[in-house]
Amino acid sequence: MERNETREKHTIRNILAIRGVGQIATITIGLLVLCLVFAILNHSFYSGRNVGNLLRQIAPILIIGIGQAYVLITGNIDLSIGSVVGMSCMISATLMTKGWNPWLSVIATLIICIGTGIGNGLLVATCKLPPFIATLGTMTVARGVAQIVNNNYNTDAIGEGAEGFRSFFYYGKMLGIFNTVWIAVVLFLIFNFLLSKTRTGRHIYAVGSNIDAARLSGVNVSITTIKAYMVSGFCAGTVGLVTSATSGIGTMDSGNMYELYAVAAAVIGGVSTLGGQGLLLGTVIGAAIWGVLQNGLQFAGAPVAIRNIVIGIIVIFSVLLDVVLRTGRPRKSAKGAAHTEG
Amino acid sequence: MPVNKNDNLSGQVKSMQDYIVEMDHIEKSFPGVKALDDVSFRLRAGEVMALLGENGAGKSTLVKILSGVYTRDSGDMKIFGQEQKDLSPKLAQELGVAIIHQELNMCKHLTVAQNIFLGREQTHSRVLSNREMNKEARDILKKLNVDIDPTDVVGDLQVSKQQMVEIAKALSANARILIMDEPTSALSSKEIDDLFMVIKNLKAAGCGVVYISHRLEELQYIVDRVTIMRDGKFIKSMDFADTNMEDIISNMVGRTIKEQFPRVECPKGRKILEVKNLNAGKLVRDISFDLFEGEIIGFSGLMGAGRTEMTRAIFGIDPKTSGNIILDGKDISINQPSDSIRSGIVLVPEDRKRDGLCTKLPVRENIALPNLDILCDVFGTVNRKKEKIMTDKAIRELQIKLPNAEVNAAALSGGNQQKVVVGKWLARNSRVVIFDEPTRGIDVAAKVEIYNLMNQLKKDGIGVMFVSSEMTEIMGISDRIIVMCDGRITGTMSADEATQDLVMTYATRFENKITQKVTA
Amino acid sequence: MKMKAISVVLGMAMLAAAISGCSGSPSTTTAATTTAAATTKATAAATTAAAGESTAAAANKKIILITMDSTDQHWVNVDKGCQEEAAALGNITYKWMAPDKKDDAQQIERINNAIADGADAILIAANGPDAITGALEEAKAAGIVIVYVDSPANTEAVATFSTDNKAAGKTAGEQMLAALATAGVTKGSIGIVNINTATDSTNKREAGFREAFDGSAFTILETQYGEGDAVKSQDIADNFITDGVVGIFGCNEGATVGVGNAIKGAGGGIVGVGFDRSDAILSLIKDGSLVCTMVQNPSVMGSEGLKAAAAVLAGETLTETVVDTGVSIVNAANVDSLA
Repeated sequence: MERNETREKHTIRNILAIRGVGQIATITIGLLVLCLVFAILNHSFYSGRNVGNLLRQIAPILIIGIGQAYVLITGNIDLSIGSVVGMSCMISATLMTKGWNPWLSVIATLIICIGTGIGNGLLVATCKLPPFIATLGTMTVARGVAQIVNNNYNTDAIGEGAEGFRSFFYYGKMLGIFNTVWIAVVLFLIFNFLLSKTRTGRHIYAVGSNIDAARLSGVNVSITTIKAYMVSGFCAGTVGLVTSATSGIGTMDSGNMYELYAVAAAVIGGVSTLGGQGLLLGTVIGAAIWGVLQNGLQFAGAPVAIRNIVIGIIVIFSVLLDVVLRTGRPRKSAKGAAHTEG
Repeated sequence: MPVNKNDNLSGQVKSMQDYIVEMDHIEKSFPGVKALDDVSFRLRAGEVMALLGENGAGKSTLVKILSGVYTRDSGDMKIFGQEQKDLSPKLAQELGVAIIHQELNMCKHLTVAQNIFLGREQTHSRVLSNREMNKEARDILKKLNVDIDPTDVVGDLQVSKQQMVEIAKALSANARILIMDEPTSALSSKEIDDLFMVIKNLKAAGCGVVYISHRLEELQYIVDRVTIMRDGKFIKSMDFADTNMEDIISNMVGRTIKEQFPRVECPKGRKILEVKNLNAGKLVRDISFDLFEGEIIGFSGLMGAGRTEMTRAIFGIDPKTSGNIILDGKDISINQPSDSIRSGIVLVPEDRKRDGLCTKLPVRENIALPNLDILCDVFGTVNRKKEKIMTDKAIRELQIKLPNAEVNAAALSGGNQQKVVVGKWLARNSRVVIFDEPTRGIDVAAKVEIYNLMNQLKKDGIGVMFVSSEMTEIMGISDRIIVMCDGRITGTMSADEATQDLVMTYATRFENKITQKVTA
Repeated sequence: MKMKAISVVLGMAMLAAAISGCSGSPSTTTAATTTAAATTKATAAATTAAAGESTAAAANKKIILITMDSTDQHWVNVDKGCQEEAAALGNITYKWMAPDKKDDAQQIERINNAIADGADAILIAANGPDAITGALEEAKAAGIVIVYVDSPANTEAVATFSTDNKAAGKTAGEQMLAALATAGVTKGSIGIVNINTATDSTNKREAGFREAFDGSAFTILETQYGEGDAVKSQDIADNFITDGVVGIFGCNEGATVGVGNAIKGAGGGIVGVGFDRSDAILSLIKDGSLVCTMVQNPSVMGSEGLKAAAAVLAGETLTETVVDTGVSIVNAANVDSLA
């Protein structure tokens, strides 16, 4: 048995046979091709400056992608992400313009966003509302909160005292890489660990795979659902902070449509909307593809009319490619969804 | 109040005389239905207690109370001598009660090991100890003598293997009370042997097993005592040695069933169907046979012999690589189910809930669904009157028991669901009806009704193909028996010639390749 | 059963909060969201500046302002101008209605709501020249007086008070050329961060800006659209900078904030010119990230527009029907003298 195990581990075929890895490999190839094409079309695309900017543009998509992935894996969805981003941006900016210490504002904002996540979780798990409706409701409420927090105005500039805050979340660099990217990397490592190596993560996959089997096996389905939504709320809150740091003001409209970008990043990366499967590493690639498209099409000089069509086609293609390739592959020794390290 | 199971047993095997489960005067009602009415149940350590009764007798409800899934309305329940007030599934698991459901309850995306340890994951300072869990899982699976790797994804496994995983899960949780609901329905005979060996070992180790099954012939190999329920009431409890099959059945049904397998003799008419050299993948290889009016052909064989695959190839679900299907002398081409249905060959599939019914739709719509071409007017609107006539006819002729035709198909009992599946085809004047495991999960009385139904079709000159893994059933009902093994037809015989040994011989006649000898 | 009831109540409460969150002017939104029973009547009563004024039905005229969205400070300022004028006139019942975001369908809905609400006059900033003309025709047929503020549509109204966006855009372009000349830059590429292809006012600004660059040695790159979102616009500006532009033009407030922040983040060296004013934009001019911005006079549009509408309702005729409310250039020199 031992001999077989070690022999199996090291062949590429068997790594690819790990559920989800195949799709990640496919979309990574897609990503590299995209980068190549854009680099050829405009050399500025791969300049050091743009690579730095590009990573920083991808980071927020990845962060909300992580949150949405958690919720999707449990078999639910979070439509409130975009509004929570806006709410977080407005709350943090408003507090800071009112003289609050930026870091206290950060803590207060994140607490409120995690609280929103708990609210979502309670509505879905305890009140048994369908997740689509529950988070649609929270989405509208959060957007409303974003508007009333500063009396339906966008905020003033958040002031000199917030330079540290703005540097931490957006403008600063460490080892030559923007802080935002580091924040995304750290969050990815933490949440990937949680998802693949802890009991909570295992339960998240189980609830999405077969909620009845999970319940009958003693898994606390409600708590697991709430935890997933809490992660999503936290991630959305973090991106809201990045947003207020970026523009230095609170904008009531920020985060518009982000929940869908988050779904795109997660689903391109292999998370199933039916729940129970998907690797967080895939979300990284999914977010990267999205970011590269938005960034690269500008450098390619694509007229706005064809932009959206191009983005849509590439998104469909990347998911389709995996489906086509996978139906041909034998399922001999497929290993577990949550088994791989991210 | 969770009991540490070790306290009770203190490392020793309990004596046979001690009751580990004592349930008295259990009452349980659901809206509109009294499921359990003053029911008692006793289980000793080291015994296998069969829990028998027709569908709807309350067996499922009783064991769900025992495993903590349901809460009883009133009555006492003691597990290992301790009174249980509020039992939850997790608590029951800790006490050592494990239930293996008929409807397999696995997380299909997770691996075998992950499913086995679901809810009881082992961690080492918050991190999952995957290596240890995989190793333990491997050990248990080895003890069960099953060829499954703990890192296989459950969704990729066959149903029979999934069931083994459920059993492994129960064992891994150190179950002392094992409830098995129809454990053998998806197993091959070799796997059944392995399972019975495991149960015997569990008995010897002092576990108590509650064994729910409709396959009464198997009981003799494994069961010590039987408890019989009917209509939510406790009828009788006795040693298996003190009773016989007739006695059991009459207690279950409340009346004697004259003939378990009603056979009718019919004159054989002309040839309806001829299948020639049918090939479809690995499990359908060069299949040829003829079907005449007035006869039922039974298809026997082991699990994996290819019988279901053959029916799917004929019906058009799976693509054929070669072969002809000749109906009433005409060569017909079938590429998809609609071709088959239009020609008059219909299928009652193995998994009725998944493939045979739209469980969320009412019975009326299920019956109407394949017949919409007949029921619709010129503009494509459904003619409600015609629909009602068709539905009422089907309900009447098949004696389907339901409050009205608007109930969802999911609400019916297994036997009645099966009748709905058949009913939708009968409205079409089909020529050949293929039954794939039609009596699985159906109680004794309803089984007879299905047999009678098949006989009626036979009498009406409709060709009947009957696939079943219950040998006695095949031998009891069919006029001719065709035996398959590993995708080929290995033997045919008439009902008179048939013996269990002969059928088994053909069923195990594998090709002379060493690699295939190991598993069925 | 209990859970279902709770969820229904929660859902209705959320719905009510959402509705009251959408409608109404800023000063009343806080009040409205605290009670689920917020009605538009309460909104109207609160916005009538004259406190304690009895709404004598016959004398009071109802004038409703419909802008492109309810959040941009520009519209907030138009509303302010209207409120002041309505207070000064004293016999006006004034309301501000606007959709959450620029959306033709929603703006049409607001017009219909205004007709149903018994408006005597509507002040409107049209999203686009054609989309809402149908609804406006209906309003006119119902006898309602139409005045355009900021952006006209293609149907006749009694007056239009707006910035000549094209001229303003051209001014912005000239400002950029001057700044580039001062910095000694004679050629290179220029980036434009616009809003979307459907908004007429910002498209006119871009057209004017391009006109200023006709015949110059500079190339203008493919326009990018940031929906007026400061962050999206900043990403676009970042990319322009990477692509080596020497100047970037932001077509509205959100775009300008993004452009300024991007130039700031890049350490300067690029000429940034924008549109509209806000606290953030002013500080970006102060620290040198932006050279100047074209400040419109939204409150003038509001007050003059309302005045004209009231006058027409009172039976007077207007002397000027198309008024350019103009832009002023705010740059490092005069930024401190602004409030």
